[in-house]
Amino acid sequence: MTLLSWKREKGKADLQTSTFEDLAVPLLPRLYNVAHWLARNAHDAEDLVQETVLKALRGFASFEPGTNFKAWLFRILRNTYLTSRSGLAAARTVALEDELGDPTGPESYPEGIIDRETPELNLIRLSDRAALQAAMEKLPPPLLEVILLCDIEELKYREIAIVLEVPIGTVMSRIARARAFLRKELQGGSLFSREVRA
Amino acid sequence: MTEHLSPSMLSALADGELAADQLASVKEHLDQCRSCTSNALEQALLKTATQKSAQHYAIPEEFQKRMKRLVAQERARADAAKVDRTPRTASRLRPWTTLSGWAVAAVFLLVAGSWWIERQSTIRTEAVLAEQTALVTEVSDLHIATLAANLPPQVLSSDRHTVKPWFQGKIPFTFNLPEQLPDDTKLLGANLTYLHNQPIAQLMYSIGQHRVSVFIRAKAGSEAAGKLPAEHSGFQVAGFSTADLSVIAISDVDRSRLSGLIEALEQAQTNGHV
Repeated sequence: MTLLSWKREKGKADLQTSTFEDLAVPLLPRLYNVAHWLARNAHDAEDLVQETVLKALRGFASFEPGTNFKAWLFRILRNTYLTSRSGLAAARTVALEDELGDPTGPESYPEGIIDRETPELNLIRLSDRAALQAAMEKLPPPLLEVILLCDIEELKYREIAIVLEVPIGTVMSRIARARAFLRKELQGGSLFSREVRA
Repeated sequence: MTEHLSPSMLSALADGELAADQLASVKEHLDQCRSCTSNALEQALLKTATQKSAQHYAIPEEFQKRMKRLVAQERARADAAKVDRTPRTASRLRPWTTLSGWAVAAVFLLVAGSWWIERQSTIRTEAVLAEQTALVTEVSDLHIATLAANLPPQVLSSDRHTVKPWFQGKIPFTFNLPEQLPDDTKLLGANLTYLHNQPIAQLMYSIGQHRVSVFIRAKAGSEAAGKLPAEHSGFQVAGFSTADLSVIAISDVDRSRLSGLIEALEQAQTNGHV
């Protein structure tokens, strides 16, 4: 896979530096938004973005033109986050995988999670931006990152799978869980409130 | 399709991820199932609402400017390196009548040149400082991750004759380990880890109850020499470079004791202990 072949080629970085600027600078606001959601505070988000950009710049020789630069950059952001203090703290919170069985199975959560009769109240709550943001803040990190990449960054499932280094089945499963979680939170329930400290 | 659509299928529908045959099958089911149609609508609305709500954190203007400057500095540094490699072209003599004009131009160029050189120097210094800070941050992250994992080293030995050979074939360089260590300092073992996608050695030492990570990596040919920050997030940082290697140690131990270990390591590279 293209994104996995990050072998350096000497001299190539110099030739591509201006291109990096053209590609990366417009993505700074998006990087910052996702970094802030993940790190959950402005200071850590700035650190995360700066480290990501520097790492990407240094590794730009390994980026192959024609492939998805945004997915490549977000993968670096995500890997940087995982080794950051906030990322390590989040990693110790096991949220869902054990509770809902096989994470790759599309039917791996309770059927009751879907309301077959959609209440009008849900539609009204969907327009409440503050309520949705509050619900997103409660999303466990594995579900938050997948929903950010899918809904905000509009990456395709196969691109998300590359960024997160998981199978597409897991991506689908996590997206479905994330949305089920948001729906429940908007209804005032907390299906996944239980957290297990490792 | 007679069964209700699964949540994953509903999500994939909202995300436009269904293959043509799946889409046809789903549409056929939706035509007959009010419940799934309602859920599909809600999934689409939820996606739109999430898109709007999650665009929540605007990048601070000052930070964005700082990042643009940083990227531009890196570009300038790369450009400067290219200019340094460009061969000079011989200038041609001009008639003496134009000398005064040239003298003014020369003075101007001298002043502008000095300013430009000074500016390039500042830009290079800032860029090197930013690189060193980023390097120490990564090293700090690796050290914290090692402590957090609380796992034994990949090679668990206090014997330098065991630890050093363990790296044979794993890293594209080699290094020496000191025979004598400062008081209360002990080799615990080592890990093979990665920095900037390159394999590096992580030696684990203890100084009293304090854990120390010493990262040894091959020095890149284009790597600019710069002073490491002495501290990072409360950790003490020390290091040195040889012609081929770059060594960084990080720990929460006090600086003088960390320096003792670094000096022993540096001496070992020079003296060629095992």
